[in-house]
Amino acid sequence: MTPKIECRNITKFFIQKGKQRVHVLEDISLEVRDKEFLVILGPGQSGKSTLLRIIAGLETPNEGSIKLDGQQIAGPGPDRGLVFQSYMLFGWKTVMGNVELGPMLNGVDKSERRRIAQRYIDLVGLNGFEKHYPHQLSGGMKQRVGIARAYANNPKVMLLDEPFGQLDAQTRYFMEKETVRIWESEKRTVLFVTNNIDEAIYLGDRIVTLKGKLPGRMHEVYDVELPRPREHTDMKFLQLRQQITDASELVL
Amino acid sequence: MADIQETIQDLGRQGSSIADEIQQTVRDKKPLTIRRIVTNEYLLHVLSMTAFLLVWHQAAVSGLFAGALATPWQVVERFQGLMTDTLAGLTIWGHIWASTQRIFIGFVLASALAIPLGLFMALNPYVDAIVKPVFDIFKPMPPIAWISISILWFGIGEPSKIFIIVIGTFVPCLLNSYNGMRLIEPELYDVVKVLGGGRWNEIIQVSFPASFPAIFAGLQISLSMAWTCVLAAELVASRSGLGFIIVQGMKISDTSLVIGGMIIIAIVAWLSSLLIAGLEKYLCPWKRDIAGL
Repeated sequence: MTPKIECRNITKFFIQKGKQRVHVLEDISLEVRDKEFLVILGPGQSGKSTLLRIIAGLETPNEGSIKLDGQQIAGPGPDRGLVFQSYMLFGWKTVMGNVELGPMLNGVDKSERRRIAQRYIDLVGLNGFEKHYPHQLSGGMKQRVGIARAYANNPKVMLLDEPFGQLDAQTRYFMEKETVRIWESEKRTVLFVTNNIDEAIYLGDRIVTLKGKLPGRMHEVYDVELPRPREHTDMKFLQLRQQITDASELVL
Repeated sequence: MADIQETIQDLGRQGSSIADEIQQTVRDKKPLTIRRIVTNEYLLHVLSMTAFLLVWHQAAVSGLFAGALATPWQVVERFQGLMTDTLAGLTIWGHIWASTQRIFIGFVLASALAIPLGLFMALNPYVDAIVKPVFDIFKPMPPIAWISISILWFGIGEPSKIFIIVIGTFVPCLLNSYNGMRLIEPELYDVVKVLGGGRWNEIIQVSFPASFPAIFAGLQISLSMAWTCVLAAELVASRSGLGFIIVQGMKISDTSLVIGGMIIIAIVAWLSSLLIAGLEKYLCPWKRDIAGL
């Protein structure tokens, strides 16, 4: 089976202040299978967000290539949906306005895009909040809007960049459960970036770890063969957690 | 275990909402004490206003300012008279209208030029590089410094006054729309890009709405600037307007006319800023709710 996403030898550096070269990613090669939930786990400053932005097409790698369904990607496009760490909702639009943005930009007529948006608003559990503005919502609810917005554009691949990084522990745990529920009710290829080891094991079919400190390099790949719904206190869960912790500098 | 399963089942239901906020209207039931009455906000407002008027009245009656201070009541009487009588051919309403009209024309002209130019500068680095140095020369120049040259260019009629207002309001209008757009979070543009929108969509969907609040802040600053300018222009050379009333009062030593003119300017300027605030509320519905939070 051909992989959904195929990254080959990606290397990226930024030029800072015109002369400083910051090496962010070094020789990253990974494959994401169709309908797979792949988690990229790495500590802060390991270039994982940059990797996601490269796959989203918002940054171009200095070396290497990315293919989606065998096609070289060039720039951002609606076939990949991105969920931002800091939500990035449009404060001047209602929940409905935010979620229907993708279909609207792609020329879907009003009644149809309303129907699509409503479907995803319902899916993320926000019905009744269609007319609210983002500032009236809590952090978890804002990210639900972010997820619905990405889903409503019907992307082949969902890219989530530490989506729950700003949430408190309880809400975060709850949102992880919700992510699994939403993913199971509408399976898509998901690439999920996080620095949280429990989140990674709870969510991922596979986990790719990055080595700490720049430039980010590939470390290990783990298959998570735990049945869903998963339990944080499950013996196998804890064993895998131990295994990953031992192999990395990630102490969490 | 069982109830966790149940919760997950429950969450699995599509269309389930997490809307669990219940709002109830309740009455604040604190007992009515003397302390509460004395510290009542509105009572304190009334007290401070009364005290202010009393001090003013006393100062006027005692001749503290060499008789050049009218009592509050004299001011009220003077202006009640002016509602029907005329000063230089116009009632008080006529003078208010004269100033307001100048403000309106100058303000509309300036914002129609400055806001698009500011946005254009923020969007296009070349336009920015070309306009900025010229703009920076004029920026620190107080608009009132333009009065003499504008009279030389346009005479003492309406155009010179409107010119001063345009000059004065142009700077804050442009600066605010320029900065408002430059301070937009760049990742907001990424949202549009990722969803499949082009450059034009970025401008329509992000640039304009996101810089709206800054533009309105600029309009508010411009408006108070406009009142300063119109007044200065009318003080120098005019046959009508609120500035003219004040100068007239000074010439004939009628302090009630001067003070009343000042008060009316304050009231009209305040009303006009309410108008801008109202317009902002109408055009930016997302900001309406923030105030109530």
